[in-house]
Amino acid sequence: MTGNAQRPAGRGIDGVRLAVLGKRFESVASRMANTLLRTGRSGVLNMARDFSCCIVTADCELVSAAECYPIHVLRGADLMARAMMEFHPELRRGDAFLHNSPYHGNSHAADHAILVPMIDDDGVHRFTVLAKAHQADCGNSLPTTYMGAARDVYQEGALIFPAVQVQKDFRDVEDIIRMCRMRIRVPEQWYGDYLATLGAARIGERAMLEMGRDVGWETLAEYTREMFDYSERLMIEAIRQMPSGRGVATATHDPVPGTPPEGITVKAEVRVDSEAARISVDVRDNPPACPCGLNLSQACALSACMVGVFNTVGHRVPPNAGSYRRIDVLLGEGTVCGVPRHPTSTSVATTNLGDRVTCAVQRALAQIGEGIGMADGGAAIPAAGAVISGADPRHDGEPFCNEVILLGGSGPGAPHADGWLTMLTMGNAGMPLVDCIEVDEIHHPIIIHERRMVPDSEGAGRYRGGPGFRVEYGPVDCDLEIGYVCDGSVNPAKGARGGEAACPARHYRRTVSGELVEVPDSSAQYVLRNGESVISYTPGGGGYGPPREREPALVAGDVREGWVSVRRAREVYGVAVDSEGEVDEAATRALREAGSEVARKG
Amino acid sequence: MRLSADVGGTFTDLVVEHEDGRLELFKSPTTPDDPATGVFDVLRLAARAGGVSLERLLGGCALFMHATTRATNAVLTGGAGRVAFLTTRGHPDILLLREGGRVDPFDNTVPFPEPLVPRALTFELRERIRADGTVHEALDEAATREVIAGLGAAGAGVEAVGVCLLWSIVNPVHEERVGELLEALLPGVPYTLSHRLNPSLREYRRASSTCIDASLKPLMSAYLSSIGERLRAAGFGGRLLAVTSQGSVMDAADLARAPIHSINSGPSMAPVAGARFARDEGGARTAIVADTGGTSYDVSLVRNGRIPWTRETWLGPRLRGNMTGFPSVDVRSVGAGGGSIARVDAGGMLHVGPESAGAVPGPVCYGRGGTRPTLSDAALVLGYLDPDFFLGGSIRLDARAARAAVERHLAEPLGLGVEGAAAAVLEVASENMVHAIEDITVNQGIDPREAVLVGGGGAAGLNCVRIARRLGCAKVVIPGVGAALSAVGALMSDLSADFSRTAFTTSHRFDFERVNATLAALEAECRRFMSGRGTGALEQGIEFSVEGRYPHQVWEIEVPLSRPRFEAPSDVERLVADLHDLHEEMFAIADRRSHIEAVTWRARATCRLPRSASGRLVEAPVSGTGSRRRLASFDGMSRSDTTVRRLEAMREGEALAGPAIIESGFTTVVVEPGALARRTGAANVVIDVRSGEGDS
Repeated sequence: MTGNAQRPAGRGIDGVRLAVLGKRFESVASRMANTLLRTGRSGVLNMARDFSCCIVTADCELVSAAECYPIHVLRGADLMARAMMEFHPELRRGDAFLHNSPYHGNSHAADHAILVPMIDDDGVHRFTVLAKAHQADCGNSLPTTYMGAARDVYQEGALIFPAVQVQKDFRDVEDIIRMCRMRIRVPEQWYGDYLATLGAARIGERAMLEMGRDVGWETLAEYTREMFDYSERLMIEAIRQMPSGRGVATATHDPVPGTPPEGITVKAEVRVDSEAARISVDVRDNPPACPCGLNLSQACALSACMVGVFNTVGHRVPPNAGSYRRIDVLLGEGTVCGVPRHPTSTSVATTNLGDRVTCAVQRALAQIGEGIGMADGGAAIPAAGAVISGADPRHDGEPFCNEVILLGGSGPGAPHADGWLTMLTMGNAGMPLVDCIEVDEIHHPIIIHERRMVPDSEGAGRYRGGPGFRVEYGPVDCDLEIGYVCDGSVNPAKGARGGEAACPARHYRRTVSGELVEVPDSSAQYVLRNGESVISYTPGGGGYGPPREREPALVAGDVREGWVSVRRAREVYGVAVDSEGEVDEAATRALREAGSEVARKG
Repeated sequence: MRLSADVGGTFTDLVVEHEDGRLELFKSPTTPDDPATGVFDVLRLAARAGGVSLERLLGGCALFMHATTRATNAVLTGGAGRVAFLTTRGHPDILLLREGGRVDPFDNTVPFPEPLVPRALTFELRERIRADGTVHEALDEAATREVIAGLGAAGAGVEAVGVCLLWSIVNPVHEERVGELLEALLPGVPYTLSHRLNPSLREYRRASSTCIDASLKPLMSAYLSSIGERLRAAGFGGRLLAVTSQGSVMDAADLARAPIHSINSGPSMAPVAGARFARDEGGARTAIVADTGGTSYDVSLVRNGRIPWTRETWLGPRLRGNMTGFPSVDVRSVGAGGGSIARVDAGGMLHVGPESAGAVPGPVCYGRGGTRPTLSDAALVLGYLDPDFFLGGSIRLDARAARAAVERHLAEPLGLGVEGAAAAVLEVASENMVHAIEDITVNQGIDPREAVLVGGGGAAGLNCVRIARRLGCAKVVIPGVGAALSAVGALMSDLSADFSRTAFTTSHRFDFERVNATLAALEAECRRFMSGRGTGALEQGIEFSVEGRYPHQVWEIEVPLSRPRFEAPSDVERLVADLHDLHEEMFAIADRRSHIEAVTWRARATCRLPRSASGRLVEAPVSGTGSRRRLASFDGMSRSDTTVRRLEAMREGEALAGPAIIESGFTTVVVEPGALARRTGAANVVIDVRSGEGDS
């Protein structure tokens, strides 16, 4: 253990400055995030919070990020800031850069990042502040920001901006704005979101300038070094509490057009060296990129691997360039989950295959020992989180295009807790808000008939996964085009350490006559007619540990609350629940003993 | 004479306001099992101090203001009534899912929170109204009767019912009918209909406030009628008013019918008092009001004389507790108070709070078994607190134990001297408090440099100058009655009622008729209130506002209306311009080319109660000069001989330059070097934090 006692004497770490300035950096990032949340126009920003705000040093190292999706922010800001500096060696105050290129450090084309170099009063570039927001539309060839079937970036169709100057002297470069207005659907909504993102970056810039003037740039530079050392020490501490070992796990994404018929299987090899306090994640041995939109960008591949690690250590270790020193992520060139080569499409990089990589990493960790790793989370993204578009009959046929977040995948069982219900994807880790029914119905010509938990759909375990939900909605007085790329209908979430798999995702269309018709689960893009609806069974999360080791009182609670049926409690969990909803102790003991008998014979 | 009793977590405060406006302040421990006992304890204390009987004291009281944490505690501890939740078919998981979101993306040790009402007590009704108010599916009466019969069945144990149906705010026909059926089939069981209680968009918030309100009805009506009866039996013949979360007061009988008003009602009074002190003593219309308790630091705001409100008040932790969803004064709370524990983590960083030593065992210096150093211990080490005169000498502090704890747990691991470590605790605690203040000011476009900082609560004076300097506030006001800011606020508050209606429209297709009809209906509700409860008020007024936004935004901002009706297109243009301005003020951007959307229309009827103007504390006489000297540290290095003045002994207008300490029976004010404190005519302390230094 590296406690205070072992702290190198006289190395001048200042625990007080660390606390005070840490709080101030946090304050800057949260001020930026607040601006984006409150002023964003599209649902993906103001409800789903699909954005990130962070601060990197002039050396492009991540210092601090606001509460946001890990897949968005763990890695990528560093790469994007580097690209900005490479393409624009002379940076001036008043500059801002639009960056959405997955070939230069961004996540995917639908995430528009605004980078503002923070230049001090002497003209020195000190930090870069970055605000990145998922767009409701990014000018793809179809009205969706997730083009699962795109052969390449050309078929995606989005405009790609590799750190392109969008403001000079605090004024828009109108050429760029005009290009976007000509290519992006519902341009007013895009421009509103652009303003919100830019506003967030400018507010961050202003706040950093104030802080630097207040405490001095040298002090801030010292602080960031200390913060990195501090975070590294906490990471060392966390890894030393883990068992050493090696785990290899695979995870398979359901097939979509462009993938092999059996889908894409990714493999992660994880090594924990407790003594050296290092973790390595190797995903080099993976198939070459596919002619579809599932491939990961470099930023998402790095982040997806790290999410799997941080899900075990993260709540005690701040994610920044300091704690990252202890994690080695090895990526291949041109693979499905490595560094993509232009024009490989990475349209869906932030969700689907990235989640599979995360799940492989955390199940590989679970192999190494008890108490670490997690099961699979419910896969991304069912029709409950589709991009919907059409013409709104209530407003003279005004076009609309937006992503609804009625629900998504449920969370995986973990070593100490059940799955988080509104996890949505592993990459966004439950951070988004979930749409209000009434807000969605006022914003779009739709009616949401149902959003209800489906009993017995969880991956059973000592700590069970979250159950799936059934969500049904359809258009009102118009047609509605919907698009989604759902994984997890062929390959449901797996359990870890004896935990069981969850129920898969499923989709149906209810016709006007009430009949249920099968519709595609993955790579779906179709039109619902007036009076029809889509039914989306969202995928549950896998369980952690054997279900028969689950605390009987927890099982009885699940039965009373309608999460698990009496029958499943008996058959899967080995718990007898009486008519009052209480545990029948004797019968439970008998069931569990019989169960272990079977297990021994088996 | 008027009385104001505030039942807090630790103390029950009583403020007596005499006819001439003088105030007297009393404190007595809260009695959680029967809060009324604590109220009577403190009343007897006041009677004794005034040399009169309890009957005489109460008999001379025209208005009795009462604030209690009873409702808040009941919801937090599950002590509220067993409530059933009736909702639209297809949507039984509104209370479970909340609005999603999570605080820490990597903390996989926290289970998903339980719903406010268990799923087992949630019942779906066959019915559906659409967003435009049309009936998509009519209410199935037979099925509804069956559900209600089930609620009444023996063994169900249902004590109250909350009804929240989708879009009842646009067309309440189904909720109204369910209400009638409940009256008929479950007579005597209290219920709440969402569109009546809280007619606002967003089903989770409405459902949550509805169920919280219903669950409090059995408890709060019993409590309020019991305390009313006991007061009357003891000689009280005046009007019993209850403090609300909107920073106003209402008749106790009305509160019993909508007890959600009582949630967080005490803290909502701090800015009411703060607004007054900021104006009278600081000459400011914008103030930051900070109330420091033993475990939390509550921050609220006065913005251009108005007190901002929010619907996002959480009971319990953010995103994991339950949101009240009900409009209430925006009070942010951080775990930073006198009892906040300081520690150094494995990486060498100093933390202060949110963990608290609470009332038991309390700080190390209380000598009640606490072993880990707290903010109060650090203040004692620095010489800011007098071990023999803490809370007027009611608790004797163990300075040696505090010093030992700071040394062992903080100074050694940080590699600092004991004073240095103690100063660091104050610095980090102050930074946490600054963060909370920035959260509520800068994030809403308020520049703290233009505000006055008003410090209330016993521990506010320890670091208020430090905080003001860090924020750039020029002036700090520490009211003499600051130790009971909420109870004083109640005496300064108005009788008011809020009404709201949802009527969606946009500025480019403005529905004049519908909006004017909505405003007329709101005005009629206000007038009914003013001619009923408001009779006898000194002044009456109605303020209209609308919650508006840009198209596709989902978060509204409240824009005051300059006129009570929209007559011409220019009235709409004025509203649009006002929203642009406010949006720019709050978020630094405005989309001036855009039209706007208006969602919920609000009206507040305010009736000014008769009250005195002084707010001046009656002070206990001090023997001697009230001036002493003590060793205290202001640089975290050494302790030096420092002037300590008793507030009560300071003359009107007397100034005291820092470094110095001002003490009273209720509070301690640290005047940092370079600051200049002055005692005002109303017995408050006003500190100019910048005099002498920091003018750059």
